[in-house]
Amino acid sequence: MSEARSRRPEFENVAAGSREAFAAWVDGAPDGRVFGQVITRPAKPFGYSLRHTDDARAAGLRVSEDPRAAREIAKLTEGGDYRPLKSSPNLRRGWEIRVADARGLVTAMNYLYPAGVVHWYLNREGRLDLTSFRENAARQSGIYKRVQRLSDEGVQGAVLACCEDAVCLKKTLWDIDEDTPLEVDRGEGEIPCPEPCSIFVSFARRVRLFEREKDVDGLSPSEREDLSALIEAAATGEVGFAREAEFEQPLNERRMRYRRLTLVPKLRRNG
Amino acid sequence: MRALVIVGHGSHLNEDSSLPVYEHAGRIRETGEFDEVVECFWKEEPSMRHVLDTVESEEVYVVPAFISEGYFTQQVIPRELGLRGPVSRKGMKTVRYAGPLGNFEGMPDVILERTDDLMRAREVSGRTALVLLGHGTDLNKNSGGVVYLNAGRIRERGIYDLVEVGFLDQTPEIGRVVDGVEAENVILIPLFIAEGWHTRETIPEDLGLTGGVTVRDEKTIYYGAPVGTHPSMANLIAARARETMMEQHLV
Ligand code: SF4
Repeated sequence: MSEARSRRPEFENVAAGSREAFAAWVDGAPDGRVFGQVITRPAKPFGYSLRHTDDARAAGLRVSEDPRAAREIAKLTEGGDYRPLKSSPNLRRGWEIRVADARGLVTAMNYLYPAGVVHWYLNREGRLDLTSFRENAARQSGIYKRVQRLSDEGVQGAVLACCEDAVCLKKTLWDIDEDTPLEVDRGEGEIPCPEPCSIFVSFARRVRLFEREKDVDGLSPSEREDLSALIEAAATGEVGFAREAEFEQPLNERRMRYRRLTLVPKLRRNG
Repeated sequence: MRALVIVGHGSHLNEDSSLPVYEHAGRIRETGEFDEVVECFWKEEPSMRHVLDTVESEEVYVVPAFISEGYFTQQVIPRELGLRGPVSRKGMKTVRYAGPLGNFEGMPDVILERTDDLMRAREVSGRTALVLLGHGTDLNKNSGGVVYLNAGRIRERGIYDLVEVGFLDQTPEIGRVVDGVEAENVILIPLFIAEGWHTRETIPEDLGLTGGVTVRDEKTIYYGAPVGTHPSMANLIAARARETMMEQHLV
């Protein structure tokens, strides 16, 4: 897929270019532009304002004039959980950042959605380099090397579980390889995803381990483990989920999303 | 324009790992020595793969926030950043890649600042040993070497009666070193970049530490925070970058 796109000129300063283009894009919309879960608008008399989209009209927000305050905002969810993936739709609310200029705007954005602005810019210009799953996997070493053996079907399943808008707001632009496109809804938002991220690779490793298991009486050992854990947790009246990237734990949301794809049909069929 | 890029390991599970990188970056930013100071990570965003696209400067200094030379500094970081040696040309950028922090000559001073902070205003009597604690690992034979290197450099200064080393994953095992060391006072400093599971849980548990100061048998053990979180580590990172300015050789 990368061949179809013109390569980016080697000597362009894409960071500076993206800053100007992004600021101009925001300037062009007095009512604001939505980027991930952030709405940003030109603020009078000069500068920009950034808020959570759900706070677009809210009063009484905690206001900061330091663009780097965005790092603390992006770090934890409303409930105080660590956010390993900044494009997860769990950005907390209650804040506003006011910055003086385009530089401040991009600095804040780079903490909220790291590298999001430059990827947005390159994609808009049709010059974003994409890296397929297979290319990315070929680069892996150490404990991640085993993702090289993940089947095409496994990659599809992992993407459905890990990358859909319900769990990640980026538009998944990469494919399995040059000839094998992902057959998924790539997402609606403005922020492109040009290459499997480290969360995805870690999840793909988990899925590869699932693939290698053998069914005994119709279920794999880890499927049994997950079902037991789910029943035991639900029986206490409260299902406590594992952390967002804790894929080794049964009650992880992405792991459960993968089970919904693969285990639920199996159970229904057997029933 | 000049940019400093600090590369951290990062974590999928908690903020401990990246916190010192952000803090040191903030300190260096305040000095104004670099036009841009940018953080990137292996396990967090921005990834090493994409960070250089966010940098406007043509002159880029990459410093790994890692203690020892090994798998990450030699394989993962150059591969992910697309570097071909100590100096690489990437489009309009010249990227200089510095070595890890642990074998840098300024490292013993950071360790000693950490011990000074820990021991300030404490009265000790008897012999005092400094014990440097390293991870040690099967993957990377240099990880132990850097601990010995710093112990040797501090020993030469003659500040402590004894300077010893111990490891979590290789011999000499830290528990035995602490038990066997012939000193009434043992200052234990982890040569780690960040707080984490080991510094908070496994080490105190394995050594039976009850907090910053543990009195046991005839010994008082003073347990310090990891050296990598000390504020003066920021100076070391900047100095590491400065040192690569001498590198002229383009690969
Ligand atoms: S690989 Fe998937 S989860 Fe990771 S950023 Fe891209 S779309 Fe999101």
